[in-house]
Amino acid sequence: MEKVFELKAGSEVLPGLRKELRPLLAQGGWDERLSAQILLAVDEALTNVIRHAYDWNPGKIKLVFRDDSDQTEIVIEDQGVRFDPTSVPPPTLPREKPGGLGVHFIRSIMDELVYDKDFRDGNRLHMIKRKIK
Amino acid sequence: MKIQTDHQDDISVVMLEGELDFHSSPELRAKLGELTSKQTPKILIDLSKVDYMDSSGIATFVEAFQRTKRYSGRLILAGLTAAVRGVFEIAKLENIFEIAADRGEAQSRFSGK
Repeated sequence: MEKVFELKAGSEVLPGLRKELRPLLAQGGWDERLSAQILLAVDEALTNVIRHAYDWNPGKIKLVFRDDSDQTEIVIEDQGVRFDPTSVPPPTLPREKPGGLGVHFIRSIMDELVYDKDFRDGNRLHMIKRKIK
Repeated sequence: MKIQTDHQDDISVVMLEGELDFHSSPELRAKLGELTSKQTPKILIDLSKVDYMDSSGIATFVEAFQRTKRYSGRLILAGLTAAVRGVFEIAKLENIFEIAADRGEAQSRFSGK
């Protein structure tokens, strides 16, 4: 199953997107706890696009949700400036300063995080969560 | 997200309801900024009706917590739902904050019972 979302780069799109992804994650067999975690990883990735790739300026984001019997994959594409979250060093925890945890959250939740270095029109990030059988 | 503030004796209670994310956290940040800039000594944040939180929510609490520490104030988070507690655990911040099971326990702690 695959579904494509075309989004505006703004924080106001996040609640509506979560609402649309919840039933898709449930269909994919994810329980409420893991579904909430995957939504959190998606939110953090989109937040990075809005803040870093677009620097709060208007822009477009394409999100592809792909689910099969082995895994759920979410691909996020933007046309902003290059920002590779996989190059962000892990924070020292607990971090008692505000911020700097988004990429740590994505890494903690997802099994695989791949930044497509060959994508030249902006950024393309693949986030994969495997299903344990 | 709904943000409601109330005063119970000398405690400022902030009741949150809904989803605390990158979109809604600036409003909460402003509200907590108001309280901490007035050096409110006792702040209780009731999270029992928050069913979703991201790292911007955590950042908002970290900032408010650091500000209260600067003037020797006290901030207690109460009634964390499983989803919210999970986020604190991923950030390994569950032992940094003062966390109470519910609002009643937080009030007892403030009054030293």
